[in-house]
Formats: sequence, C-alpha cells, structure tokens
Amino acid sequence: MAGPILAVSNLSVDLEREGRSRRVVDDVSFALAPGEVLGLVGEAGSGKSVLARALVCAVSTPLEITAGKVVFEGKDILSLPPRALSAIRGNRIGFIGANPMGSLDPRLPIGQQIVEKLRCVRPGIGRAEARDKVLDLLARVRIPSPGARFHEAPFQFSGGMMQRVMIVDALVSDPSLVIADNITQPLDVTVAAQIIRLIDGLRQSLDTAFLFISSSLPVVAQIAERTLVMQRGRIVEEGCTAELAARPRQSYTRALISRIPSIWKDVTAPAAQEGEAVLTVDNVMRSYLVRRRGSFNAYNEVKAVRDVSFTVKAGENFGIVGESGCGKSTLTRLLAWLEQPDGGRIAFLGKDLSHLSARSLTEMRRSFQLLLQDPYGSLPSGMPLQRMIEEPLLIHGIGRAEAGKRAQEAMAEVGLDMELADRLPVGLSAGQRQRINIARALVLKPRLLILDETLSALDQVEQAELLDLFNRLQATHGFSYVFISHDLALVRRMCHRIAVMYLGRIVELADNSTLFEQPHHPYTRALLSAMPTLEDNRFPRPRYLLDGEPPSPIDLPLGCSFRSRCPRAQGDCAKTDPPLLALAGGNYAACLHRHAAPHEEEAVHVE
Amino acid sequence: MFVLSFLLRRLLQGALIILLVTFIIFTLLRVVPGDPARLIVGGMAPDEVVVMKAKELGLDRPIPVQFVSYLGDLVTGDLGTSFVRPKSGASLGGSSFDDATREERAKVLDLILATLPMTLQLAAVALALALLVAVPLGTLGGLYPGRWPDKLALAIGSICVSTPNFWLGIVLTLFLSVKLKLLPAIGYRGFSYTILPAIVLAVEIVPFILRTLTVSVAQVMREDFIQLAPIRGLSRSRTIFSHALGNSAIPLINLLGVQLGMLLGGVLVIEFIFDYPGLGLLTINAVLQRDFPLIQGIAIFISVMFVMINVLVDLIAMTIDPRLEY
Repeated sequence: MAGPILAVSNLSVDLEREGRSRRVVDDVSFALAPGEVLGLVGEAGSGKSVLARALVCAVSTPLEITAGKVVFEGKDILSLPPRALSAIRGNRIGFIGANPMGSLDPRLPIGQQIVEKLRCVRPGIGRAEARDKVLDLLARVRIPSPGARFHEAPFQFSGGMMQRVMIVDALVSDPSLVIADNITQPLDVTVAAQIIRLIDGLRQSLDTAFLFISSSLPVVAQIAERTLVMQRGRIVEEGCTAELAARPRQSYTRALISRIPSIWKDVTAPAAQEGEAVLTVDNVMRSYLVRRRGSFNAYNEVKAVRDVSFTVKAGENFGIVGESGCGKSTLTRLLAWLEQPDGGRIAFLGKDLSHLSARSLTEMRRSFQLLLQDPYGSLPSGMPLQRMIEEPLLIHGIGRAEAGKRAQEAMAEVGLDMELADRLPVGLSAGQRQRINIARALVLKPRLLILDETLSALDQVEQAELLDLFNRLQATHGFSYVFISHDLALVRRMCHRIAVMYLGRIVELADNSTLFEQPHHPYTRALLSAMPTLEDNRFPRPRYLLDGEPPSPIDLPLGCSFRSRCPRAQGDCAKTDPPLLALAGGNYAACLHRHAAPHEEEAVHVE
Repeated sequence: MFVLSFLLRRLLQGALIILLVTFIIFTLLRVVPGDPARLIVGGMAPDEVVVMKAKELGLDRPIPVQFVSYLGDLVTGDLGTSFVRPKSGASLGGSSFDDATREERAKVLDLILATLPMTLQLAAVALALALLVAVPLGTLGGLYPGRWPDKLALAIGSICVSTPNFWLGIVLTLFLSVKLKLLPAIGYRGFSYTILPAIVLAVEIVPFILRTLTVSVAQVMREDFIQLAPIRGLSRSRTIFSHALGNSAIPLINLLGVQLGMLLGGVLVIEFIFDYPGLGLLTINAVLQRDFPLIQGIAIFISVMFVMINVLVDLIAMTIDPRLEY
C-alpha cells in the first residue's frame, strides 16, 4: 500500500488559562506508514500525551487545537462531523493509555466491556461473534485461562495483566493504527519487557501501525524503527531509532541520551566497605491474615517477608531491589519499626529493638529515620517550613530556641533557602519537598536513613542533585543508607551491597560489581535483562527474560518459590527450598542451580 | 455461597447489636423512678393489690432475671402487653383498680404491626417523591459542574435544607387543604391523606440526595475510564448510563439506607402535626402515657429494622460493585 496511513501537518494545540494561552503542541508534522512502529520520546511535560489525544480529536478545554491537519486514511480527523469521527475513533484507531488499572469500569467484567466497545464501533457484529473474538485475542496476548478471566473485573487483575487487556481492547476492532501512550510506565521492568515483546510479536502478525510514546528513549528503541524527539511541544529531531541513538544531531537529543544512566559501560561500582554493624536483621518473618473472599471465617496467610537476614554497616549504602509485591514495603515498615516482625529479630547498634522499653525505643528512633516516596502526602500542608523541621526535635524534648537554631542549620545543609522558613509548603517542587523531609530526618542526627523509593517521584535532574546531597551528608555525618527501590540504575550508581528480593525472600545478596556483572541467581539476571538500555545488554533477553508473573504469595509453590518461572528449574527445585548460601567474597545466593562465578565458569571451559 | 456467608455473618452481628440495644433500653427503663405495678392498677389501689400485681407480672424478681425472661419472650415474638392500652383501641379512662371498663390490655406487637403499614406507606411515598425530583437534577448537576444544572441543584438543595418541616407542614396545610381544598391534611381516611406529610418529608430528604449525587457523579466523570470512553469509541449516552451512573450509585444507596431507617423510626414531628396514625404518633403517645412496654417494644423493633435495612443496603451495594466486601 502506498502513501502514509497517518499524516500530521502543522498541528498546534494551545492551553488557555486565565486569558493567556500557551502553546503545548507547536507546529508538529510527521507521517506514519502502514504497519510501521513510530516512536515518540520526550520528557514529562513536553506535550506527548496532548499530541496523542489531539490525533484522535479528544482534547477538551482548557486545551484547544488551533491549527493543522490530521489526515488518517485519507480523511482529516479534525474536520469530521461527530458521527464520522466515531466511526474512526476506537474502531480504525485504537488507544492504550498509561493507567491500565483505571481504564475500564472497575465494577464490570472486562470481557463484557470489550464486547460492549466492539459492538459500539461495529454494530454489525453479533454478541456471540464479538465474544469469540475477544476470547481469541485474550489468548493471543497470553492471558492465562482467558475463558475464566473474561468474567473477572479489573480489580482482580494485576497491572501487567490489565495492560494486556487494554491491548486487546485496542486491537479488538482490527484497527490500522494504535496509539500507545506511555503504556509501560507504571509496570515493573520484567512485565514491561514482556509487554513490549508481546506488541512486537502482535504487530508482525496483524499489520497494524503503532505510535509508541514514551519518556524513555531506551524503551522506544526496543520497538520503534523510526523515532521522533519532542521538546516543549516541538519535534526537534526525527530519524531511524538506532541512528538517532548512536549519532544524535540535536543538542536536546544529546542531552536526553547523556542523562540515561549507564549500567555496564564505563561504570565504576562503589566498592564494599568495612565498618561496624549498624543494623542487623536476622531471619525476619512477617505474614498477614487476610479474610478469604466470600467465606464466613476462613483466612489466607500472606507471607510478605520470609526469613530475611542482612547487616548494614556504618557508612554503607545498602540496596534492596525487587518488583511490586516482593515484600519491599513490608520490609521497610519492619526496618523502621512501624510494625514488628512475627519471627526473627532486628537489632540496631547491637540492641534488639523488641527488647527495648517504650522510652528507650523512642530515644533509639532518633537514630534511624524513614524517608517516604510521596513528596506531597508526607508533609503537613498547613505548617510553615521551619516549624515542620523543628517538630521532630520538639517531640524529643529539645527547647524551642535550640530547635529553631538546629532547624535553620539543617535547612542550610540541605540547600533550602532561608526565605522559605516561614512559608507554607504550597507551590514547592517535589525536589524541594524531599529536601524538607531530609532536613526533618537530619536534625535528629541519625545514624541510618531508610529511603523507601524516596527519589522515584523526582525527575532526572532533581534526582541527581539529591544523590549528590546524600553523598555529601554521608561524607560529613557518616550516615548509612538503605535504598529501597525498583530503579536498578540508581542502585547501581549508589549502593555498595544489594539484596534482590523475590516473593518475600532475599534470593541474592552481593556487592555491586558481582550483582550487576556476574550475578548468580537466575532472577537477578532476568531483572537485568529486562532493563531498557541503549548499550548492549549483558544479559540478552531471549536467553534470560522471564515469562508470566510472580505467583500469589498466598499459595507459594513448594520447594523453590522462583521455580514456576525459572529457566533453569529442574526436578530437585520442586523438593528443596534453597537456603541463602554463602559464596566467596561475602556474597549470598539462594539457588540450587546458580550461575557460576567467573573463575568457576572458566574452569568449566578448561574441562 | 458468597451471599449466604455474608448474610450469616451480618445477621449474627445484627443480633448482637439488637441484644445490646435491648439490654440498654431495658435497664434504663428499670432504673427510672416509678413503679409499673402501681401504674397499672392505678393510684387508688391498696398496697396489697400492687404487690399482687407485681408478683403476677414477675416484677419482684431481680432485674437480670427479668431481663432473661424478657429475652425469652422476645425470641418467641412476644413484646409484652401495653400498660394502658386496651385491645379495643380506646385509652383507659378510670383510675380505679376494679373499674369494669378495664378490659384486657393490648399486645405491644399488635400495636406496632397495626401502625407499621401506615408508616411504611408514608416512607415509601416520601422517598419516591424525593427520588423523582432529586435523581435527575442531581445527575445533571454532576454532569455539568459549575453550569446551570449544578447551580440549580445547589439552590434547590439550600432552600429545602433551610425550610423547617413543622412550618412547611402548617403552610402547606393552610394553602393546599384549607384554602384550595385540594388535599386532606389531618388524620387518615384514605391514601390521599398520605400525600401532604409525604411532601414535607420529601423536602427534608431531597437536599441530601442532591448533594450526594452531584458530588459522586462529578467525581466519577473525572475518572480515567470515563475520560477514555469516547476514545475507545463509546457514545456519551452509553458512557453515562452504563458506566457513570452505576459507579456513582453506591454513595446514594448508602444514604438511602440511613434515610429509610430514619423514616421508619417514625417521623415524630410530621406524624404529630398531621395526626397521621403511624409509628411516630404511637411513639409520642406511648411516651406521654409512660407506657413503658410499648416504648421498649418500639425501640427494639426500630433497631431490628435498622439492622435489616443496613444488611439489605450492603447487599445491594455489593451487587452493584463487586469490589465491595462487608
């Protein structure tokens, strides 16, 4: 077929607010060939999502399309009457958004809703035919037991499964174009990698063109042949993706690429350090009882944290990584002593926290502070900044004058302007807000900071600034940090030792260079292989990437809990649950068939 | 299975609540001054007769024992007999203990069941009227926030909420029955007697429904799945009727449960103003006559109704939204 399927010319969208207008999409032109995958990258706020909506004529006040044409299959979408538009939208053009969990009516079965949509855009299709079509597609996006899942409501799906459902929803009407707006953004790395692989497979069999929008160039590079780079509403560069990544012509593209953290190339891993133990965690367990749905009095035991042990030394950065549902958050709550473990012990500076009296526990709490993820919800909105930072001191019984002095010192130390002291936090950026949180922890002169995804709400620039601040504070005060994160690049840059969690257990604990360069556990390799990178991935996907999703922590597989997804699983994995075994160099791994260490691998070659 | 276990659990909880309510009411009525035996036989009766009556009624036993035997009767549906009301319905006049006009006294349960249909009818008509006005207006208000339907809903809600019900009752009686002679107002001799008090009650309920519905519809309309619906290809009417309304119904249903409970509990002032022979009027008279068994019976009966309505409301809410689990 000749000619583009979608041709956008000189499209502009304005944002009207309080009588002033700001251009959000500025004179954008591009074309998309049938069956092509076109990438669109740009930072948050560059106008990508507005552009995506303008393409289907779905922008509403205060946004307004002011100029341009969107010619799809020979018709200008922007000038179509509503009836003709509805024959295209949802029918010839599919749309997948960034919020899979909120994209369908939460009450109704997903199958019913997709059938409803299909029969809305294609009134000629009968109920039974529509149903068969949906079931067929649910199977093709590899949703297990589609017949049963058809009747389940969105809240019974995980984020990754729900995104597959939304792919079915977009593809069900055999569209010739699908707009995918940031679809992997809310997903865990391994799940996101699966979704990309899935779309890549589907488009080859379906001959559908994709406009693939993402804020990450490495993500786009995995799937798009050609890529547009967007900055402040303008397309600044366009070209073949591989070419663009290797030889960017524009300074903005170069800046975008330079900000992508490197994982293997030219990285010096922070070396493990010796020091006294600050935090000791021994065989900690925590489970919750959850009433079984639809039962009178039956409970399920959710084993959130199982048999976790590690030590954090003075001046050390300790990382804990894993995907959602692996028990990171529960472990954080245990480390901060917001909850107590069911079994095992947590000792701080050699003192078992469960043996402390209420009073000495409060005293001890000064030494370990928790920093949360949400910079907005974690600050009281009606309190002046300085008062906020004084508060922990006042709680610990320090006089007002002294508290004020220390709060001001802390503000200066974290880089908050003194003029802000009497202001309310309204209008402060996420980065500034996290600085306030850091100052609030800092005034107590703690020994350990527990950072629960503290930086994940920040953009790259703010993140880099705060990491520098953390390093500076560590150099002056000798802090230890526990980084709890799903961001492997951050952990690679900051942490001396890293624990990888899967279903409540630590499956591997190793120093930075071992973990990233020669990990022993197949799950660690799978995590690394799923990372979107521009550099060559050390662990190529066809060999290491996992299928499926973690099993429910309610009924764990017998034996090794990773067995159900493990590419190396063998008969004995079903019988023995591998303990966390000490390896050379102070590293640990829990696997019966672990990948060998480098020198062992060489030994095999010699044989 | 799911529904059965839900019902079982909720009804057990309900039974516990009712037991507690019964205990509190029973104790309160025993500790207030006044001897029920004396009240029954009349002020002029000699002391021996009072003692005899007390023995006959079991009032000389310790209070816990009395409570247990009362519970035993309660389980069989026996709420006791009124102190003052005879079976015929007329109030007692004579105060002499051997007065021949003192016939057999009425059963509390019979008194309640006789007035209940009247109150049910009033509550149903009032609720229907309120829904008829408030649901369309509230939904429109939620669909067009900040525009005229929203403002109209707010205005009507404000006017209704600030109108005192006793005043409205009197004014409506004056205009509709006395001046225009459209509707009867006082007493009960047919369905038309329900309309005026129902209007007054509806005016009282409308603002709550309006407010709840406007807010919940507006909130649901901002949800992603509603915003995405046109891009997915759904028409606006389909989006609203099959997705937006269902999702905004839950708060409304919870509200209606509470309102219905209050209506059934007897709308004392309204029934009194219109002399409407419902549960409310019965309650007022029982209080004025110090008819302790009747007061106690009504209170327990109403708490049972409240529990049942709440179970029902939760069951309906669960059917609408399977995410909910109580």
